Amino acid sequence: MAGPTPEGHVDQFLQHLLNAVMLGGTYALLGIGLTLIFGIMRVVNFAHGELYAFGAYTVYLVAAALGLNFFLGLAAAVIAGALLGALIEVVLLRPMRSADIDTVMLVMIGAWIVMQNTELFVWGGVAKAIVTPFPDAPLVIGPVSISWLRVFVVAAALLLIVASDLLIHRTKLGKAMRATFQDAETAALMGVNIKGIFTATFAIGSALAAAAGALLGPVFLVTPTMGDLASLKAFAIVILGGLGNITGATIGGFILAFVEEIGAGYISSGYRDAMGFLIIILVLLFKPTGLFARAERVG
Amino acid sequence: MTRAFSPIWLVVLFTVPLWLQDQYTLHVLITTGIFIIAAMSLNLLLGYTGQLSLGHVAFFGIGAYASALTTLGFDVELFGFRVVHQPWPAIIGLFVGMVVAGLSGYLIGRLSFKVRGAYFVIVTISFAEVTRLIALNWVELTQGPLALTNIPPYTLGFPGLGDYTLWNKAAYYYFVLALGLIAYVVISRLVGSRIGRAMIALKENETLASSVGIDVTHYLVLAAVVSAAMAGGAGSLYAHYLKIIDPDIFLFIYTVTMVIMVITGGKGTLAGPIVGGVIFGFLPVVLRPVAAPAVQWILYGALMIVIVFMLPRGIVPALQRAMVNWTTPARKPALAPSIDAAKPGEGQ
Amino acid sequence: MKQFAGTATLAAMALAAGIATAAAQDSIKVGVIQPLTGAFAASGNYVANGAKIAADEINAKGGVLGKKLELVIEDNKSNPTEAAAVAEKLIVRDKVPVIMGAWGSGFTLAIMPKLMEYKVPMLVETSSAGKITTSGNPYIFRISPPSAVEAVAFAKIVDKLKIGKADFLVVNNDWGRGAAEDFGKMFKQHNIQVGLVETMDPPAQDMSAQLAKIKASDADTLIITTAVEQLTLIFKQAAALGLKKRIITTGGSQNPDQLIEQAGAAANDTTHITFFTPWNPNVSADPAMAKAFIAEWNKRGYPFAGLTESFRGYDGIRTIAAAITKAGKADPEAIRAAFWQIELNGMNGKIKFEKAGPAGQESGQSNPGIYLIKIENGKVVLPSV
Repeated sequence: MAGPTPEGHVDQFLQHLLNAVMLGGTYALLGIGLTLIFGIMRVVNFAHGELYAFGAYTVYLVAAALGLNFFLGLAAAVIAGALLGALIEVVLLRPMRSADIDTVMLVMIGAWIVMQNTELFVWGGVAKAIVTPFPDAPLVIGPVSISWLRVFVVAAALLLIVASDLLIHRTKLGKAMRATFQDAETAALMGVNIKGIFTATFAIGSALAAAAGALLGPVFLVTPTMGDLASLKAFAIVILGGLGNITGATIGGFILAFVEEIGAGYISSGYRDAMGFLIIILVLLFKPTGLFARAERVG
Repeated sequence: MTRAFSPIWLVVLFTVPLWLQDQYTLHVLITTGIFIIAAMSLNLLLGYTGQLSLGHVAFFGIGAYASALTTLGFDVELFGFRVVHQPWPAIIGLFVGMVVAGLSGYLIGRLSFKVRGAYFVIVTISFAEVTRLIALNWVELTQGPLALTNIPPYTLGFPGLGDYTLWNKAAYYYFVLALGLIAYVVISRLVGSRIGRAMIALKENETLASSVGIDVTHYLVLAAVVSAAMAGGAGSLYAHYLKIIDPDIFLFIYTVTMVIMVITGGKGTLAGPIVGGVIFGFLPVVLRPVAAPAVQWILYGALMIVIVFMLPRGIVPALQRAMVNWTTPARKPALAPSIDAAKPGEGQ
Repeated sequence: MKQFAGTATLAAMALAAGIATAAAQDSIKVGVIQPLTGAFAASGNYVANGAKIAADEINAKGGVLGKKLELVIEDNKSNPTEAAAVAEKLIVRDKVPVIMGAWGSGFTLAIMPKLMEYKVPMLVETSSAGKITTSGNPYIFRISPPSAVEAVAFAKIVDKLKIGKADFLVVNNDWGRGAAEDFGKMFKQHNIQVGLVETMDPPAQDMSAQLAKIKASDADTLIITTAVEQLTLIFKQAAALGLKKRIITTGGSQNPDQLIEQAGAAANDTTHITFFTPWNPNVSADPAMAKAFIAEWNKRGYPFAGLTESFRGYDGIRTIAAAITKAGKADPEAIRAAFWQIELNGMNGKIKFEKAGPAGQESGQSNPGIYLIKIENGKVVLPSV
């Protein structure tokens, strides 16, 4: 069975690389969102993937069902994601602040079930496609091609990653969040409004997840179960990058995307989604604090 | 209600097939019973040892597949060697299923108890997903999505009375009931023993338990093995009842179902998984004509949230408290500690 | 107290049974199991609606054996365990003598043990896994072609397409893998080389890795077997990668109209093996019947795109009605025996069951014809081959 030519091998590899970059950018958004929530609030947010799905369905609603501008849909997804996140935090999480981590986890699982099935009820189980205003013909750079939509997704993802970083490191809010991450009690004593910080954190994390969904939804399809894998991959990224570590989450997102592409391309396409899980298991067994985190007690 | 199985209940349970004509309801009872056994095993880890294992369905599925493969035989290539297995009687499959599941419980226990809390949860979920993908992709062994079909039912040999094959529902119902009772007794003996007390101590305060000399990992692993073996047994029952098993058995939604059963029933109680199991085994059947499946699941999710908020310890403890309040004459609290409802999630 | 409850229950059940029997005198029930909700809800509803058209048509002409045909339609929720559960309910509670179902091969396979247990026949209208008719279940009668039959039908025109070497991209289940195997065997017999065989998980949405591999291969044709949602993604991703090979899809779940709508320009120049051509009913096996069916479908306001699947529900119910008529009574065993004796015209050829599977326990398999269509400039055309 003749395989690709030597040039074909390089081309194929470059193509995989390009795909990985696009996926990595959006995965990074997912990861950053969760690492903030998981890190600052110590909440095992199983509903994270549902915010991702919510973002995608919002774009579908605005751009496809209502026929409005696609970019308007993207903006709406991010804003709606933030609002929904804030709502969840205030209604479900705030009353549970004194509860143990297991109980909160169960509440988030309940929220996940309710959100996913609400989407299923409203939109039905059949996958939905979002038509975008980008040209159909791909951008061809030498031997590799990439669609304009994907170019946009990469650009938008990088923009949001940079924005998140600026938010955390250059603003007052970010400073307060970092202080809360380091030591919530002391931060409270210092006058930080912990309640507000938590709401803001969950809102921002959810907005990032919704953005990831809004960007990837048009690339693939929108289904009610799309959030399941997203949740678990987000956890893989957070574990890879270390809790609360934005840079780690960003790099982790790209690493996961890369491993998935290479694994699917050269080892076995059927096990593609298993790569994330394998990473989780391996990292937790051998380097539980993540590849980049400073030492931190686990569990 | 210190004993969930007072004599009246036992009599009712044993006579069900005699007065229940509806085969379909009997079918639901059987599948509910199987899931209750699995829920009881999850309760051991979740309720008594305090470890939120969300990969539990992996043990259930491993038990199901191991049992089915033992009974059907297989012929695969492993690392260059041909491994062939001839079909064995189905009842041996039950034991093989339990052993293989127990072994995986041991492995998972040993490996993942290095990490605790949220990370442990994630590892267990990942384990279940990887198992599902293996079942799906290792087609030579598991037939992948084609499913293992024509799984034969158990044949029980009674010395002197001859063999009896469990084809009809009533017979299977009794078999599941018997195994369920055995499982219940095993768990109640275990938690009542010294081992059980050590496990509960672990859940209450791990550091403290460790400081008084309780070998934390040893007991966690023991709980994992027993829990996994029991779930594996339930899986085998499931496989030999449906007579078909496919990788969908590893879907996370089944773990969630078991978790809901345990949490709403009452984790850390003996009757909890049974009550939760009955509710969530029959709720879909009752709701089917009136609500779309998506709506049913919204109700389950909402119910779970409400229970965690309002009855954080579950239905059974709440009922027990209510019984106590009801039967005890009112008197001044005096110096007695308050028995108000615990704040959400304060644990037991 | 318990005894009273028991007696009361028995009395109520007897009453209910009496009422049910009385009602049953006037109609013959046929169970229909389809995915009405879940991932395959669109397809399931098309088939169910096609079935209803057939039932209404038959009843308008006097019904079957002088009684009305009553469809009891149940939802398998796109899930194999649920499929088995509703099959049980239909047989035990509704006492249907025959069933049609269950769309997906996984669902049909899950129901098969129940058929053996209760000895009730089932008409398989869509599922195409080979295993369904080769596992020794004498209660299965299938009108949809497994990939082996599809490959044989395709073999009649494959030489004209001048394929040198073909890669496969199939969904990772019985259906997809079976297609790769059966078409691969047929290709080898026609001196066509088989290249890569790539698979994708049923819910997978990112096939770029597989497509990148395929793009780099030296095959000239890509054979794809999967359902319309994944096809949409594959076409879009293939176009984005600049994949230039000829694409042929198989399996009958392509829904070309939806492909055109959702994949847009990426769907152009793709070829498809289908089992019914609503775009040109004149090439059907029975043009008059096809036109009437299409007219009724449009009259009821159903989407045109659904015709590529709904005809199976239509053919299925007509086949069942023919079997019941032949059997002379609404009895499962009689209907089962009658299936072997009937012969009628379906939308894509003659429906007549031939033995398939191990001797002594054969299932019935009918052999329909295929049609080759192409999407050009956003329209479906029937190429002359």
